[in-house]
Amino acid sequence: MKTKKSTLFTAALLALSLATPALAQENVGTVNYSDVEQLQSDNILAKKLKISGYIQTQFQKADTAGIASFAGGNFDPGIDNRIAVRRGRIKFLYDNENAQAVMQFDITENGLFIKDAYLTVLEPWLNTISLTGGVFDRPFGYEISYSSSARETPERSRIFQTLFPKERDLGGRLTLQAPKTSSWNFLRLDLGLIDGNGTTVETDKYKDFVGHLSATKSSADEKFKWGLGASIYKGGFAYTTANLYTMKKSGAEKGFVLETVKKGDQSLRQYLGLDAQLSYDWALGITQFRGEYLMGTQPGTSSSSSSLIAANVGSVSTASPAGAVTTSNVGKDVYSRPFAGYYAYLIQNILQTPLQAVVKYDVYDPNTMISGNEIGSAVTTGVNTGAADVKYSTLGVGLNYRWSSNVKFMAYYDFVRNETTTNIADAGVGTSTLKNLTKDRKDNVFTFRVQYKF
Amino acid sequence: MKKSLIAMGLVVSMMLPSVMSAQKVVCKIKGSDTCLPLSQKFAEVYGNKNAGSGISVVGGGSGVGLAALLSGTTDIAQSSRKMKIDEKLKIQETGKAVKEVVIAYDALSVIVNPSNPINKLTREQLEGIFTGKFSNWKQVGGQDLKIIVYSRETSSGTYEFFKENVLKKKNFATNALLMPATGAIVQSVSQTKGAIGYVGLAYVEKDVKALQVSFDGGKNFITPNVENAMSRKYPITRPLFYYFLTSKEAAFKPLINFILSSEGQKIVLAEGYVPLS
Repeated sequence: MKTKKSTLFTAALLALSLATPALAQENVGTVNYSDVEQLQSDNILAKKLKISGYIQTQFQKADTAGIASFAGGNFDPGIDNRIAVRRGRIKFLYDNENAQAVMQFDITENGLFIKDAYLTVLEPWLNTISLTGGVFDRPFGYEISYSSSARETPERSRIFQTLFPKERDLGGRLTLQAPKTSSWNFLRLDLGLIDGNGTTVETDKYKDFVGHLSATKSSADEKFKWGLGASIYKGGFAYTTANLYTMKKSGAEKGFVLETVKKGDQSLRQYLGLDAQLSYDWALGITQFRGEYLMGTQPGTSSSSSSLIAANVGSVSTASPAGAVTTSNVGKDVYSRPFAGYYAYLIQNILQTPLQAVVKYDVYDPNTMISGNEIGSAVTTGVNTGAADVKYSTLGVGLNYRWSSNVKFMAYYDFVRNETTTNIADAGVGTSTLKNLTKDRKDNVFTFRVQYKF
Repeated sequence: MKKSLIAMGLVVSMMLPSVMSAQKVVCKIKGSDTCLPLSQKFAEVYGNKNAGSGISVVGGGSGVGLAALLSGTTDIAQSSRKMKIDEKLKIQETGKAVKEVVIAYDALSVIVNPSNPINKLTREQLEGIFTGKFSNWKQVGGQDLKIIVYSRETSSGTYEFFKENVLKKKNFATNALLMPATGAIVQSVSQTKGAIGYVGLAYVEKDVKALQVSFDGGKNFITPNVENAMSRKYPITRPLFYYFLTSKEAAFKPLINFILSSEGQKIVLAEGYVPLS
């Protein structure tokens, strides 16, 4: 019986082994080459469309409930901790050799927002000049265009959040960079002409100029890499009232002095910036240093030095002088301040582990003409300075753990220090419930973030 | 006693396959065309010696191989240039780390058509030819014949090495013909009378002529060969690398040990490359 079963089993195996090559041969013989060509063609088309994105979910704990914060926005009154989707980005890139189209959206609990919507065309003769049009990162400095998914800290520096809210603007950009085959490839020049209103619609006739010249080089042994850049921004929105306040010194007094301007004329928004980056590969891992210094003149309001769009300060009546495009007439006076600020990152990739330590220090002084107790002191002519003129410095320390090619964990603590003045014991800064500027406010923030990138 | 011996024999015979399978390596190698013939030979010899191994090797250029390692579409990137600091940072951004192994050296050779009477050139003359300053062979002491420059594409590590070390970072001539593979350069130079190109030493064959080069202004002209490369007399000698994720180091260790062994280095020499020592 056993022998019979074995014989049957062996016969079955033999039959199978004989059948397999026959089947294989049949498969080989029936390859449809037009199907293969179709697959190849589909694959080429599929490669042109690239979809990427990332989600950042975070828990934050503030020192005090209701603080004004640059660590992802102000905390609501009574709230000292929160869980939020900080960024939920999805980006579509269609790349057809010398022409690209990009659309990027931000989807969070706050809604759906457009982040990028632009096209880029590269001339095919020298492959050196490209033209971009739409909504894109302003070509100023280094930190603006450094992706939030790659950044080692939760947020950009206070100075960039203040001067360039949302990072993007509407306009056109000309980029000059020689192709990789050229020894001039290390240089890049970006020149932009933008609305200056962020991603909102244009509200005046003025265009702002922005430019960035940068250079990057590596050492022959690929141990050392450096980058340098210089930036300029020149523009401004239309005055919506006839009142401009500028900083003046009169004797021992420093304060805002009223000047009369013509409604519809252009305010002065002018920045200069320098940026530097260094990377060094050594025994302890790759060390990176990044720094940037900015200075210039910023038009704001009495309560804020944040970049304004014409809509923020009201708009000019169509009946008033040049520049007007809207009909309402609810203007705010412009306060012009000389500002300065900088940031410095020190990043240490720990050996070849997935761990990365980061220390960041940033400073923003919205009004370099005054400091300390000069802020808010009474002036006999003009208008007192106030909480919007206080300097802030932030020391951030953090640790990143790159768990996989998709997932990154970040733990980060911001130590925020404000300049103190005895003259402002009750400053209404934003929505903050901390209004006393006679001492350092308790507004440090801890962030724990998980990022998934695809 | 007999039973014990049979049992031991059985145990040993059962263990043998597992010992052998510890040497089994299955991986994909991609990148440098310069490394391609050498990696193919390693794969063939190692595969024959270690049953169950499956090593596939493809070229495309060092940049292509390193990009494939970053994207996880190859296991080992073969490269004729060092990994760039930006590429290392990108790898670290994914939570991974890379291991670098020098597998051999190469003497980068400048080749011309065998019918060309020129036998030697200085670095300065090479720079002039490849940057387009010289367009006729008579400008460097040769025939009245137009110079046809062949180069590799920008993704090639050899391209970058040649530009850095021979052209001193100057641009290639705008009319230089960029070829997708080293084999294509050899073929084109062998078929074109006024042609000049550069390839790894292992690609030098009878259909092309390798030139002596001088990096001291014409005092000493050195022939590209293994001896001169080993003694570092030949000035355009460079290391060839394998890069792989440290997380896969244990899996590839048998192959790497084989390559670095005396047997592996004999293959290096036999294939026209320069051994490590």
